[in-house]
Amino acid sequence: MVQASAVEIRKVNKFYGPFQALKDIDLSIPPGKVTCLIGPSGSGKSTLLRCINFLEPYESGKILIDGQMIGYDAPGKPMSGRRLRDMRRSIGMVFQQFNLWPHMTAQQNVAEGLIRVRGLRKPDAEERAAEALRKVGMADKMGNHPARLSGGQQQRVAIARAIAMEPRLMLFDEPTSALDPELVGEVLGVMKTLASEGMTMVVVTHEMGFAAHVADQVAFLEGGELVAVDTPSTILHHPRDARIRAFLRTYHERNAF
Amino acid sequence: MFSIQTFIDSFGPLLWAARYTLLVSGLGIALGLVLGAAICAAALSRNAWLRKFAAIWVSFLRGVPLLVQLLLLYYLLPVVGINVPAIAAAVISVGICASAYISEIWRGAIAALPPGQTEAAEAIGMSSGDIWTRIILPQAVVMSLPALINELILLVKASSLVSVVGILEITRASQAQAATTFRPLEVYLAAACIYLVINLCLAAIGRWLEHRAAV
Amino acid sequence: MDFGVLQQYGPLLLRGFATTVFCWLVGTLLGMALGLLIALAQRYGGRPLRWILQAYIEVIRGTPFLVQLFVLYYGGPLIGLRLDAVPAGLLGLTIYGSPYFAEIFRSGFTAVPVGQIEAARAIGMAEPVVIRRILLPLGLVSALPALVNFSIILTKETVILSIITVPELMYQVSRMSTETFRYLEANLVLALFFWGLVEAISRLGRRLERRITKHLVERV
Repeated sequence: MVQASAVEIRKVNKFYGPFQALKDIDLSIPPGKVTCLIGPSGSGKSTLLRCINFLEPYESGKILIDGQMIGYDAPGKPMSGRRLRDMRRSIGMVFQQFNLWPHMTAQQNVAEGLIRVRGLRKPDAEERAAEALRKVGMADKMGNHPARLSGGQQQRVAIARAIAMEPRLMLFDEPTSALDPELVGEVLGVMKTLASEGMTMVVVTHEMGFAAHVADQVAFLEGGELVAVDTPSTILHHPRDARIRAFLRTYHERNAF
Repeated sequence: MFSIQTFIDSFGPLLWAARYTLLVSGLGIALGLVLGAAICAAALSRNAWLRKFAAIWVSFLRGVPLLVQLLLLYYLLPVVGINVPAIAAAVISVGICASAYISEIWRGAIAALPPGQTEAAEAIGMSSGDIWTRIILPQAVVMSLPALINELILLVKASSLVSVVGILEITRASQAQAATTFRPLEVYLAAACIYLVINLCLAAIGRWLEHRAAV
Repeated sequence: MDFGVLQQYGPLLLRGFATTVFCWLVGTLLGMALGLLIALAQRYGGRPLRWILQAYIEVIRGTPFLVQLFVLYYGGPLIGLRLDAVPAGLLGLTIYGSPYFAEIFRSGFTAVPVGQIEAARAIGMAEPVVIRRILLPLGLVSALPALVNFSIILTKETVILSIITVPELMYQVSRMSTETFRYLEANLVLALFFWGLVEAISRLGRRLERRITKHLVERV
């Protein structure tokens, strides 16, 4: 039985001027599973993630979300802003720098998209926001502005903001890289819960422990190329490619002090 | 309709009058630099009275419109027994006004220097005089150059106000020209062009200095 | 100082002050509005529009306010723009202030972290909503100190309107001093008055800033 992919990436290329950031990327993201993108910094893994919701336009190739191409109606024909926005509604994104809106409380941050994008009435949106915040364990801090929250708390609110929109797919761009080490756990915990509920997730991360224990597949990128896609144990414990071995060696040396 | 000929003809007398614009703004900034240095020193001194004086000086001159300052000084000088030509009153007024802004520019530049540099100099036993002349001032002066050029641009524009005490600079000359030709639009546009060219040149110098400082 | 004179000219001076405040408020608000439009057009407009607006900014910032007023008030009628002193003054203030306000807004917008705008786009927010709900509120907050500062500078520029016979405070004071020959006293009082006014507005502005930015300051 062939299961349709949630995201199908085919021959995607991306350039910054003469610099090629992504080279012929082919990758399938299975629905209901967690895919981790790992690799050294500058490998293109964040760029690839940002292409999936078209925050970064790609120049050639295709990215299909549930069978529908994002960013273009046909190759070379950009889609209208309205259609792009419609597609983005079903893709949640969590950023490295949280990117909460500082002039709104936690609850307002979550409700904003429900009101302005989904067209919910304010009381309904606030109720849904409260529910999403409860889910990430932030019910007691709903009235706080981001400046009054720790990094881990801000990131949990950002996750609530994304899941309140009821996305079919969640993108995480190094969600714990900007956090103090003691705050990483609470955010990974929320992500684990989401994964266990069957959310389709694509996660760019440096947390090899998370990749090993939560991911269903791991993709390793380097220099804009997709080097390997496989199960976590194959990539992280029995890597065949020398580049992956080198990367893991550096990673373990750094973390062993 | 718009007369190109009048527009072009206006440039002759207006350019001749531009020397007074340059004189007032040039001498104004020179006086402003000297006075500004003194005010800045007062603002940074250990003496509380000097600091207070500098604060009032800056606050007054930045709070009062230049036109009012100009007339105030123009009428004040004779009363206190100083009889100088209008041009001198104009330069003094512009210079005093500029000193308030320039002292703040320098204070800002000095404050922007990392305190670590002074500490490093102290650590190797440099005297405080040497620290000022060798470490702080050379950097602060270079850093403040773009802001000072900016101040000069403001003064070129502000010098148009000295037309009210009868200095025949660009603006005054264009008023006279407009009255004799009955073509105010052409004449004033010509005046605007001259100001614009002067200021664009100054801005280019400022950008060049900024670029050099950044390298 | 002869206070009899003040009593005699009191109503005139009050009217002048009212005109000053009126011109300042209206000129500042219109200048801000125009500046905001310019800043948004520069951010979202095409290259030709951006280029034209940049030229406008350079020209207005490169020429004295007084000369701009002369072009408008004395030169305007030649191209059919016949304005009384007060409207000419208001239009002049609006135009004069607009490029400075535009630059203030522009740098305010630049200060809004790109990520916060991306976050809005990522949940599918339409661009006008992004502007209204995210870019404007955050940009305004970071622009606020500069906005207050420049508005204060504009209070001082209003005296220049007296030269094109706008009957604001400076105009009335000059009229009083030519009639009474008390030039020095009149200008001294005017200077002290503006000093007090500007100090007061600055304090008010700082208080306003603190209130608006209160919850944006990190306090974990």
